Amino acid sequence: MSVQQNLEIRRSSASVWGSQSGMRSVPTVSKYIDTTTCIGCKACEAACIEWNDLRHIATEQTGTYQTLPTLHAEYWNLIRFNERDFDGGLVWLMRKDQCMHCEEPGCLAACPAPGAIVQYANGIVDVNPDQCIGCKYCETGCPFDVPRFHQTTGKMAKCTLCVDRVSVGLEPACIKACPTGCLQFGTKDDMVALGARRVEQLKSNGFTNALLYNPEGVHGTGVVTVLAHGDHPEWYQLPRDPHVPILVRFWKSFLRPLGAIAIFGAVIGALTHYTKFGPKEVRGVDAPDRNLPDA
Amino acid sequence: MTNGWVDIKNTDVILAMGGNPAENHPVGFKWFMEAKKTRGAKLVAVDPRFTRTAATADLYAPIRAGSDIAFLLGIIRYAIENKRYHEDYVKVHTNGPYVVSEKFEFNDGLFSGFDAGKTEYDKTAWAYEPDPKTKAYGVDPTLQNPRSVFQLLKKHVERYTPEMVERICGTPKDTYLKVCQIVTSTGVPEKAGTITYALGWTQHSTAVQMIRAAAMLQLLLGNVGRPGGGVNAFRGHSNIQGATDIAGTFDILPGYLKTPPGSSQTLKDYLEAATPTTLNKEAWASMNYWQNYPKFMVSLLKATYGKAATKENDFGYAWLPKVDGNYSWMYICDDMYRGNSTRVGGKEPGPEGFISFGMNPVGLGPNSKKWVAALAKLKWLVVAENVETETPIFWKSPKQYDPPEASKIQTEVFLLPAADFAEKDGTFTNSARWMQWKWKAVDPPGQAKSDQEILARIFLAVRDLYKKEGGPLPEALANLSWSYTNPVEPDLGEVLKEINGKALSDIPDPADKTKTLKTAGQQVDGFGQLQDDGSTMCGNWLHSGVFTEAGNNAQRRSTADPTGLGMYHNWAFSWPANRRIMYNRASADAEGKPWDPKRPGIVWNGEKWVGDVPDMKPDAPPGTFGAFIMLPEGVGRLYASGMNDGPFPEHYEAVEAPIDNPLHPKVTSNPVSKKFSSDKDIYGKKEDFPIVCTTYRLTEHFHYWTQHQHDGVLNELQPGFFVEIPEGLAQQKGIANGSQVKVTSARGSIQGVAMVTKRLRPMKIDGKEMWQVGFPIHWGYAGDPNHTGPLANTLTPSAMDPNTWTPEFKAFLVRIEKA
Amino acid sequence: MSAARPQRPFDTAVVAARDRENVIVGNEIVRHRLVSRVIHWSVAVTFFVCVFTGMPIWTPVFGWMAHLFGGLTVCRLLHPWAGVAFFLASGIMFVHWIGDMRLEPGDREWLGPKAFAYMRYETEDTDIGKYNGGQRLFFWAAGLGAIGLLLSGLLMWFPRAFPPLLLEFAYLIHDVTFILFAVAIVFHIYLGTAAEPGTFGSMVRGTVTREWARLHHPRWYRDVISGEEDRRR
Repeated sequence: MSVQQNLEIRRSSASVWGSQSGMRSVPTVSKYIDTTTCIGCKACEAACIEWNDLRHIATEQTGTYQTLPTLHAEYWNLIRFNERDFDGGLVWLMRKDQCMHCEEPGCLAACPAPGAIVQYANGIVDVNPDQCIGCKYCETGCPFDVPRFHQTTGKMAKCTLCVDRVSVGLEPACIKACPTGCLQFGTKDDMVALGARRVEQLKSNGFTNALLYNPEGVHGTGVVTVLAHGDHPEWYQLPRDPHVPILVRFWKSFLRPLGAIAIFGAVIGALTHYTKFGPKEVRGVDAPDRNLPDA
Repeated sequence: MTNGWVDIKNTDVILAMGGNPAENHPVGFKWFMEAKKTRGAKLVAVDPRFTRTAATADLYAPIRAGSDIAFLLGIIRYAIENKRYHEDYVKVHTNGPYVVSEKFEFNDGLFSGFDAGKTEYDKTAWAYEPDPKTKAYGVDPTLQNPRSVFQLLKKHVERYTPEMVERICGTPKDTYLKVCQIVTSTGVPEKAGTITYALGWTQHSTAVQMIRAAAMLQLLLGNVGRPGGGVNAFRGHSNIQGATDIAGTFDILPGYLKTPPGSSQTLKDYLEAATPTTLNKEAWASMNYWQNYPKFMVSLLKATYGKAATKENDFGYAWLPKVDGNYSWMYICDDMYRGNSTRVGGKEPGPEGFISFGMNPVGLGPNSKKWVAALAKLKWLVVAENVETETPIFWKSPKQYDPPEASKIQTEVFLLPAADFAEKDGTFTNSARWMQWKWKAVDPPGQAKSDQEILARIFLAVRDLYKKEGGPLPEALANLSWSYTNPVEPDLGEVLKEINGKALSDIPDPADKTKTLKTAGQQVDGFGQLQDDGSTMCGNWLHSGVFTEAGNNAQRRSTADPTGLGMYHNWAFSWPANRRIMYNRASADAEGKPWDPKRPGIVWNGEKWVGDVPDMKPDAPPGTFGAFIMLPEGVGRLYASGMNDGPFPEHYEAVEAPIDNPLHPKVTSNPVSKKFSSDKDIYGKKEDFPIVCTTYRLTEHFHYWTQHQHDGVLNELQPGFFVEIPEGLAQQKGIANGSQVKVTSARGSIQGVAMVTKRLRPMKIDGKEMWQVGFPIHWGYAGDPNHTGPLANTLTPSAMDPNTWTPEFKAFLVRIEKA
Repeated sequence: MSAARPQRPFDTAVVAARDRENVIVGNEIVRHRLVSRVIHWSVAVTFFVCVFTGMPIWTPVFGWMAHLFGGLTVCRLLHPWAGVAFFLASGIMFVHWIGDMRLEPGDREWLGPKAFAYMRYETEDTDIGKYNGGQRLFFWAAGLGAIGLLLSGLLMWFPRAFPPLLLEFAYLIHDVTFILFAVAIVFHIYLGTAAEPGTFGSMVRGTVTREWARLHHPRWYRDVISGEEDRRR
């Protein structure tokens, strides 16, 4: 999606001068996913493909209901199906996987191309293909393994939270298509409140570990997910404690500026040296050549 | 559905059984989730597989395919044993107190009246015992009479202990008891529970009795007629309900009027045989609404033959085809295949030709090979379809379907391109009986034509032929009313008006003879205004009210909901009479007070019934009429003598039985279920085919249609055929997930990708280890070449339920091996 | 050769420098024959393509460099291929020079005091061969660095083929190696040009003066003079 001019940018990747801040105050938006009422019907997958004009890719039946093993540059929204036996019986978990639109986006932190990944004032994290250089750094930065490199365009691709729809007051296509209402869309505050209510309900229904997945490690996500088995996010193929990788933070925020300083330092060092010592000239050619073997 | 989709939000407990609504009705399933979220309703899923429905359920109980009756009767036993039924409801609204004649017996798996030669029951053996004094039905209000329906039922279900259920169904006892506990928790006035089902019940050799068992359970729990209650069938197509209402099968006319048999040569004979009478005429009398049968029938004849139908000529009754014997599509296939028909006493030739309209029998019929062979014997085949399905290209079906050499097939095939649902106007009647108008979105492509145009053109051409060349009974065609503005492509609004019916002459108001209810030419308001003297016409009495003088009510779209119960009376039109909950009189007690004041269906306010459109004479005070106005008894039937296979349900194994019936090994399968005897109709033995198999659909596809979509998104979501196999069985057979497996039944074998899953549980049935496998039906040899697959029905048997002749797709025997 | 053209003075040193090292030609000594110089410059060119395509991606501070190649996207496309070319060139260089670069016992001191002494022009060591310890260490470090850059770069190029943690380390390795490399290269260039006049000639013309050789690489000078090298061959 190209940059939505009518949305102000909260944060922009590889910005030397820091973040821009808008004049208008808009609420942060969020998707709400209730995995306990999701039936894995894939209407959201189809809606995503159609709205975003994604190319149809050849899939293969390999022994699962899941459409693809993982997200794809032409497949931004994938329900992950997981079967699991445990003490309480059998569960067949279905979780809609897509960009989580982190408050503290790892992709944006890792991105080296100015403005290629932006976070709009409403919290949507988007790739701007005009600026994207396809370096795949965001793949490493993302704690949820979401961005994918598109072979044909040479750009990264991922869920845009239908920023084009949201910016004109519509809900994302996946939400629109959901038949059971397990997907909702609204302000982050409302969605968190909705999630909290549902979690309470689940707890009173015996799911004592129910949880609204909105991980603190990335300062919360723009997709909040109700999990009945909140003590086992990995059953849903969600990281337990996602955060922008420390090493990514280290090299992006510390090592690289330091390195730049080191290189400038080396140049300055050389200049200083030259100023102090000057060139090591070949002098005293007339002096006896001690090095010559005795003739 | 007795209730509606939206009404599910009003429930406390949902028993989803014999269906996988999350998979097959994902949009309606929203109301399940709504009930869970807003009321904390409990969802219990019972299914051979851990399904998408089970994934969201509060409790999942595994069951062996085909053993549902034992499961349900066990719950009934639990309810009676533990006094967890709604006693007041049973006394007021059911035939529980009715006394049954001594002729009724049940011994060793057979009800009295069994004729072993004909494999049929004489149903007169199951009659009630009228009270010798009152001449009305004998009734014991205390329910204690040992010959009362209630006591007979109690005795009948005594054998279905949780242990027996576990033995038959494979459901672990503790899980089963939890199900019983949750489901029977609604047997109190302040709770309501619903049971939902679909083809997982209708496609068995014991199908109708399964649904009966559910209805009986709901009557016992006092859940019928109430918001949040009911017995709710989810239909498999967007308009299958409408198709059924308008005469989907050979034995009914529109509005479930009976197809006349050869024995009824005059209208009088026919109406006498078809119109029921009641013995309940005093307090709590039966309204016996079917006493209006002559009005519905005569109005239908007037709609059919127009002015040619007169009182003198029996309204053209003689021109209606009379049907003796069974002409269901299964029998038609058998006749085609054998080349003759012996059902009507004598020997007749089989059909010469076959018109397949919006139906793909090679794909959806059982025993695909038999269908291919049967079509190959025809002279001609006409298929009207929007894609080229398996049926019109049966002659080039792959080798595994054993087609005759294509050059030897003489069948001339005509494929008529038909418009699809979005390319024509019309109504969809959904599972909730809502007739909803839809507008054409796009024109049909190329030469494709709407169904009504195809039919009209055929009709007009055939009528011309009869005019020119004559033939048997030309009047039947010549007199058919065809008064559409555009006879070649009738406007569906006009057709809907005809279905609704109108006055042909002024109809006097019965209350005040000086006034008229309707003047000639006006649309009637509903079936209550239909007459049996030829002064009204009506294409389908049940749909009457859909297109009144107020306009096309199927187009109404008001979301006003004053009841707050999601009835939406001004949204579309819900037959009958725009009633949203059928039998809603039963939502109130004997005095007309709602069982649950928070969820009233209808309430007697001292003058009339208010709330939903009452299923009752609107001004008849409580105690005048029984709640079940269509039945001669006026009450709900815990005991039904009209079924072809017994007044009570009984557990019978599928026709292909994996075990001997533990209850009565000598009568293992339904003794009156129907089978065929051609050389293609082979039924497997448990020794050769030890695995239970079932078939189903996927939410990603629609029948045999969506996989035709080239480069389509649905093919992306579910690219091909697979076989679901439990982990334990896969281990035993060395089958890896994703590898190829071969599944074989007595009728053929198919091959596909193995989906090894935990969701099919290992089972212990009758003390033995037993496995179940299953596969979806969507693929065939037609369509996008990248998305073809085996026809699931290669393996299914042509065994049928004796009431509806629906094939047993859901439980049959196979063996499985690595391919 | 056209007779009409005026004959230029025959530059023996340059001609000799085409194919023979360590020979005295007049007042000059051939230090790097043509092959050596081509190898060196191919490493240098690929290195700088890598630097100028990599640094704008590395941090936006160097974003302006992207314009040299037509923008960041082009840089992103060029960088991995230039990296592969750099690695291949470095590999050839490594094989080509390894004979002269065997480490000697005292070389470790070049990591510390010797290097500082050298930079202060205070070294009195007369036992410096064709390459001093610093140069030899730089050679080995460059070889290792090239491998490090290549391996970590491959991971970054195809991130989906590797586990995430490994990937995070790859970035770290690529960065640290580059920083060290960059600092070293700054000094390499400085020493090869401004700091030690006469050195640059050895990489463009191939020759150094006797005086230069005697000053910077006395043992090598002695060896050349005594003709030992020739005899050894």
